[in-house]
Amino acid sequence: MNAQPDLSRRAFFTALPAVTAGLAIPAHAADEANPHWSMLIDTRRCIACQACTMACSMENVSPEGQFRTVVATYAVTDQAGKTGLAVLPRLCNHCEEPPCIPVCPVGATFKRADGIVLVDGDRCVGCAYCVQACPYDARFVNHHTGKADKCTFCSHRVEAGLLPACVETCVGGARIFGDINNPQSDISRRLTAAKGKTSVLKPEAGTTPRVFYIGLDQQLDGRVDGASTADMMWRPATQGA
Amino acid sequence: MNTTVEVLGFAREPGWLPWAVQYFFLIGISTAAFFLSLPGLVWRNPDWRGVSRRALLAALVCGLTAPVALLADLHQPGRFLNFYLHPNLGSWMAWGSFFIPLYLLGLIGYAWLCLRPLLAELAKRPSPLAGLYRKLSYGGHDNLSVIKAAALVATLGAFLVLLYTGMEVMVVQARSLWNTALLPLIFAVTAMTGGIGMTALFEALTGNRQSAPLLNQWLARGVWVTLALLTLWLVFGLFGTSTAAAEALAAMHGSFGWMVTGGWLFGSTLLTFWLARTYRNSLLVPALLALHGAWLIRWVVFIGGQSLPKMGSASHSYYLTLTPDSLLGIVGMAGLCVTLYIILTSLIPWDDQASA
Repeated sequence: MNAQPDLSRRAFFTALPAVTAGLAIPAHAADEANPHWSMLIDTRRCIACQACTMACSMENVSPEGQFRTVVATYAVTDQAGKTGLAVLPRLCNHCEEPPCIPVCPVGATFKRADGIVLVDGDRCVGCAYCVQACPYDARFVNHHTGKADKCTFCSHRVEAGLLPACVETCVGGARIFGDINNPQSDISRRLTAAKGKTSVLKPEAGTTPRVFYIGLDQQLDGRVDGASTADMMWRPATQGA
Repeated sequence: MNTTVEVLGFAREPGWLPWAVQYFFLIGISTAAFFLSLPGLVWRNPDWRGVSRRALLAALVCGLTAPVALLADLHQPGRFLNFYLHPNLGSWMAWGSFFIPLYLLGLIGYAWLCLRPLLAELAKRPSPLAGLYRKLSYGGHDNLSVIKAAALVATLGAFLVLLYTGMEVMVVQARSLWNTALLPLIFAVTAMTGGIGMTALFEALTGNRQSAPLLNQWLARGVWVTLALLTLWLVFGLFGTSTAAAEALAAMHGSFGWMVTGGWLFGSTLLTFWLARTYRNSLLVPALLALHGAWLIRWVVFIGGQSLPKMGSASHSYYLTLTPDSLLGIVGMAGLCVTLYIILTSLIPWDDQASA
């Protein structure tokens, strides 16, 4: 057996740092290219299992009864009398023109360069003005902190190179998260492929949402004229039990 | 057109609680009562002399109570410091944090200047508080020029408070019931009727009934304008002139609760108008109805407005509970008003004998 190391193997190990550095440099360069995080929701793939709702609640320790993301579910009956299920996964739209930012009296709400709209918890006074201004009902005053709360696209996970909890857990792969500044990203490719078939919630509000939908029933993209089973149900928390 | 039933919906609870209703109610009344104090105390109109004193008392009682409700709504009162450390001047609420102290400091200064001669008089009477009165009177001069200057500051503050309280709510496009140019006017006019109501209530409590025709005359005018503005909003909504009003009416459509609320609002406003016009010497009932009307309009706008869904079909009906941010908060604010009334009327006589 030859005691000398194989030259080709030595050359490989010698070159390894350069190879890894070479791989790392483009990745670093991509970070500096300022990603713009967005989400695409393919409602055709959503089965309304609420796994995203639960994953978000677990990840972000939302107080009981308060959710950063939900999947509203509708029974829609067409004119022929045929009834089907329609879903609307909802979360903060991380708008390009977020109406929650200008109203904040202390500048606690801000939009990062990567497109994520966040709340500075140290500065927030819990006045709920942003809650009023959000056209999507995406915000609430957290019962535990008494401050404004909302979806952050799981920014803490994204910064660690992970996907948001709701995306990670979605069983149907209905939620696609990524950088729309990168034309090679999954979300960009899917948005391109679905060009003309995507929509946003309340486009008339002029907020330019960064959560896109495929297969969204236009009747459901805002306030929905119709009955709600929630209004028919007995709710112990509000009825004194 | 497809029909939908929301099987699983998520309605948010109101972000602005009854604290907000109490704040807007009390600060509005305070500014209006302050304006009522001007004819008697600044312009020295003899017809208004007595009623202006009670109006000043109402302005002080409500003005000193109102910010407490606002602080309570922040969940932790110390957070108010951030309004001054990090103001975002693009927000009406941020401007409000400067207008409130401007108004209140102006009001307190104005009240003190108006009361100085009376405090000097009280200092001369044998009383354990004579020393305090002497210090507070600070010479006891009745300096009309300085009173006018303080009144000017308070007037500016009062107008700015009325402006910001209306605009702050009006600019919220996401709330269809709020997003109308009529809202600042409705708030301002109902603040006036509420201020007249509170002044009339204090008139009744101090046993001065001669001002009843004067107050009822202004109350009837204010209620008439309120009715006109409410009708205008309804017309705008029904004819689609205002998209927001039409959207609000569409969201209310078919709701028994909203029908009762609308009927109650219009009915009680008409009743107030009729009473103020018919029973011109009556003080207590028109006063209570005027206060009821000013409070009701704010309750309907804030609590009702937040119950209309922004998304989906589910509405979040609000129920008063025995908790500090609900019924106990309302009672607490009323209690603070009563306490301040007792303190101020115990220390200073506000009736016509005192002014004479």
